[in-house]
Amino acid sequence: MPRFRTALLVEYRKLSRSLAAVLVVVAPALVAAFLFCNLLRVGRAQPWDMWMMKAAAIWAFFMLPMSVTALTLLVAQVEHGPRTWSHLYALPVPRWHYGAAKIAWICAAVALMTGAAAVGSWLALHAAVALKPSAAPPQALHVARIAMLFASIYASSLLLIAVQLWLALRWHSFVPALAVGIGGTFFAVVASGAKIGMVLPWQIPVNMLAAPPRAHASLLLGSVGGLLVLAWLLIRFSRREVQ
Amino acid sequence: MPDAIETDAISRRFGNQQAVDAVSMTVPAQSVYGFLGRNGAGKTTTLKMLLGLLRADSGSARVAGIDVATDRLAAARKIGALLEAQGFYRYLSGRDNLEITRRLLGCPASETARVLAVTDMTAHARRRVADYSLGMCQRLGLARVMLGAPAILILDEPTNGLDPEGIASVRTLLRELPDRTGVTMLVSSHLLGEVEQVATHVGILNHGRLVQEGDLASLRAGLATEIRCETDDPARAAQVAAAHGFTVKQDDEVVVAVLAPGEAPRPAAAALNRALCLAGLGVHHLAPRTRSLQHLYQQASAAGATDLETR
Repeated sequence: MPRFRTALLVEYRKLSRSLAAVLVVVAPALVAAFLFCNLLRVGRAQPWDMWMMKAAAIWAFFMLPMSVTALTLLVAQVEHGPRTWSHLYALPVPRWHYGAAKIAWICAAVALMTGAAAVGSWLALHAAVALKPSAAPPQALHVARIAMLFASIYASSLLLIAVQLWLALRWHSFVPALAVGIGGTFFAVVASGAKIGMVLPWQIPVNMLAAPPRAHASLLLGSVGGLLVLAWLLIRFSRREVQ
Repeated sequence: MPDAIETDAISRRFGNQQAVDAVSMTVPAQSVYGFLGRNGAGKTTTLKMLLGLLRADSGSARVAGIDVATDRLAAARKIGALLEAQGFYRYLSGRDNLEITRRLLGCPASETARVLAVTDMTAHARRRVADYSLGMCQRLGLARVMLGAPAILILDEPTNGLDPEGIASVRTLLRELPDRTGVTMLVSSHLLGEVEQVATHVGILNHGRLVQEGDLASLRAGLATEIRCETDDPARAAQVAAAHGFTVKQDDEVVVAVLAPGEAPRPAAAALNRALCLAGLGVHHLAPRTRSLQHLYQQASAAGATDLETR
C-alpha cells in the first residue's frame, strides 16, 4: 500500500526545484527590506511593537494574499503545465495523497513565510538601528503579543489558501486564479473597513489587526472555515475525472 | 488465465455527444492489440475509462479480471499507461522524472536504471527533459510505463508527432517488448501501417462503436485477395475474366479480379493469365495483391457508418 509519506516526499522533490522555493524566500524578505529602509528614512525612535505591527500589516494586507495566490498557482501549474494529472491519476496511488501533499506543503510554506516575515522584519530593524542608533526603539518588544498576532494571521489565512488552491486546481489556465487573487487583494486594500471584509478571504488576515469582536469572528471563520473548505477540496480532488 | 482487458458494453457521453457507445472489447493476455480509429473516434476516452480516469455511464471494464470501477488501485497495479507523451516535469532531468514515479509505485531503486537501459535512454538520463527531443520524450514515456514491470501496457498514440526515424525507433521497441518482457500491449493509433507491423490483434472503433475485432491473421485471411492486371485492351480483359468466373472491377486501364475469401492467389493468377493470353490479349502487368489492414479498416468503417445512418 503506498504511503502518504511518499507522496509528501515526491511533492517536496517537485516543488524544491521549482520557483516556489524562490517565492518562499523573496516574499518575506521584501517586507523586511521595506522596514529596514523605512526605519532609516523615518530616523526617529518608535516602539518595537509599532514597527512589528507595521510588518504584520504589510504582510497581512498585501504580501500574504499575493504570495498565497502565486504559491497555489505554482503548485497547481507544476501539474497543469506538463499535463501530468492523467499519469498521476493512473498510478496505483490513492488520489487524495496528491491533494493532501499539496495542501500540506502549501500550508507549511505559508507558515514558514509568515514566520520569516516576522523574524526577518525584526532582524532587519535591528540592522537598521545598528546603522542609525538614534532611531533605536525605546521599549522592549512584546514577543508573545507579536508572535500571537502573526500566528493568528497565519491561522486566519487558511480560508484564503483553500479558495485560491481550489481556483488554481480547478482551471488549467492560471488566469482565473490570478485574476481573483489580484481582485480580492485589491478590494481588501481599498475597502479595508467595509462590513463585507469580515468574510472576504483576502481581508480576513488583515482583520487580526482590528478590535476583538471583528478579529475573533474573522479568526474563527478563516481558520475553521478554511479547514472545512480544505477538507471539501480534498474530497472533490479525489473524485474528479481527468478529461 | 483471464483476458488482460475486457469491457462489457462500456459507454460514455459528454453532453450531447456519445463518445463511446457500448464497446465490448477483449484483449487476450500477451497479445499486442492495435486499437484503431480516426481522431475523435473514442479511443482515448475508452482508454481513460480502462484506467479509471473517467467513469463509465454504463457497462464495466475489467483488467486482469479486476473490475476497474470497484477496485481501481488493484487494477492500476497491473497497468503501465502512456497517455501524454509530454507529461513530464520539464525542469527536472529524465532520471528525476522516473524517480518520482518509481517512488510513488514503491519499486526498488534499481528499476530506474533498468527501464532507462531497455529504452536506450541511459546516456540522456541526467539531461533536463526541457532539452529532450520529442522522440526522446516518447522513449522516456515508454521507460516510465515499464517501471515495476506491469503485466499490461496501455499506450495512446505512442508514435504521435515523431519523425520517421523516431517512429521506426519506437516501432522496434514495441516489437521487441512482448518477447523481452512478456507484456500485453494495448496500442491505440490512427496510423494503420504502424499498427499492422506490431499488432497481433486489432479492434476498430468508429464513432464510438467497436465495429471490428479479432486476431489480425484471421481477419486478413477473411479478406479477399485481388489480382490486378493491365493489358492492351482493358474492356475485353474484363469480359474474359468475368467469363472465366472472376468477380471483376474495372478502373480505367486497370482490371481487378477479386478472389473469394481464402482462395489461393497463385493458381488463380496463373488461370487468369492463361485465359487472357489465349484470348490474344497483350498482358504487361499481372500481380496478386493481399489486402492490408487499410482495407480491413475501410471496410469496417464503411459498415459502421452505414449502421450509424440506419439507426
